[in-house]
Amino acid sequence: MAELLASFTTPIDIGTNPQSMLWMFPLLAAIAIVYKATKMRVLFWGRFAKETIVLFATLSGFMAVAVVVLNLITWLATS
Amino acid sequence: MKSSRNSVDFLLFLALVGLSAWAVPGAGHLLIRQPKRAVIIFIAVAGLFVTGLYIGSLGVLEPIQTAWYIFVGQMLTTPAVGMLTQMAQKGGYVVYGRPADIGLIYTIIAGLLNLLSISNAVYMAYTGRGRLIGEDE
Repeated sequence: MAELLASFTTPIDIGTNPQSMLWMFPLLAAIAIVYKATKMRVLFWGRFAKETIVLFATLSGFMAVAVVVLNLITWLATS
Repeated sequence: MKSSRNSVDFLLFLALVGLSAWAVPGAGHLLIRQPKRAVIIFIAVAGLFVTGLYIGSLGVLEPIQTAWYIFVGQMLTTPAVGMLTQMAQKGGYVVYGRPADIGLIYTIIAGLLNLLSISNAVYMAYTGRGRLIGEDE
């Protein structure tokens, strides 16, 4: 328990590498979950899970496209 | 007379829903008998905020050196953030670089998602259950 609490007193090690971009996925999942929880008229677990996964995939796809486009622009500007 | 008293009661109820939704994420939905939404919102918002603190440590709760709107965003999660900030100030925790950025983003987004759920709970209480702002098909 003390170790668990102590882990909140020092930041974890995240480098400035492409793998650090993976931290956006829990964020996108939370956004998709809360958005769908507030927007569905009647909340059935099965339908909620399906719609949340679709929204999460859409957001992730859009972010992946944004990463590719921005990298392309940077590559064109610097080459 | 009775009508004006009812409207005052109704306004107080809306205020109670809004304040409880701010105090504990999802509590507003619990008050309007939407327990599934309440559980989902609580887990998502609290989980996101705690993950942000785990990544960046208590050092991400720094209202003095960061911009005011960042602290307002964090405070939207729950008023208890103020208490945590006091603890963080006394502890002198510091965080820089990528963990600071990611921790700040997580905690602010948790606050903004709670703002969405507060407005949703109040609007659902105002209109009656089942009618939502800009609902999906």
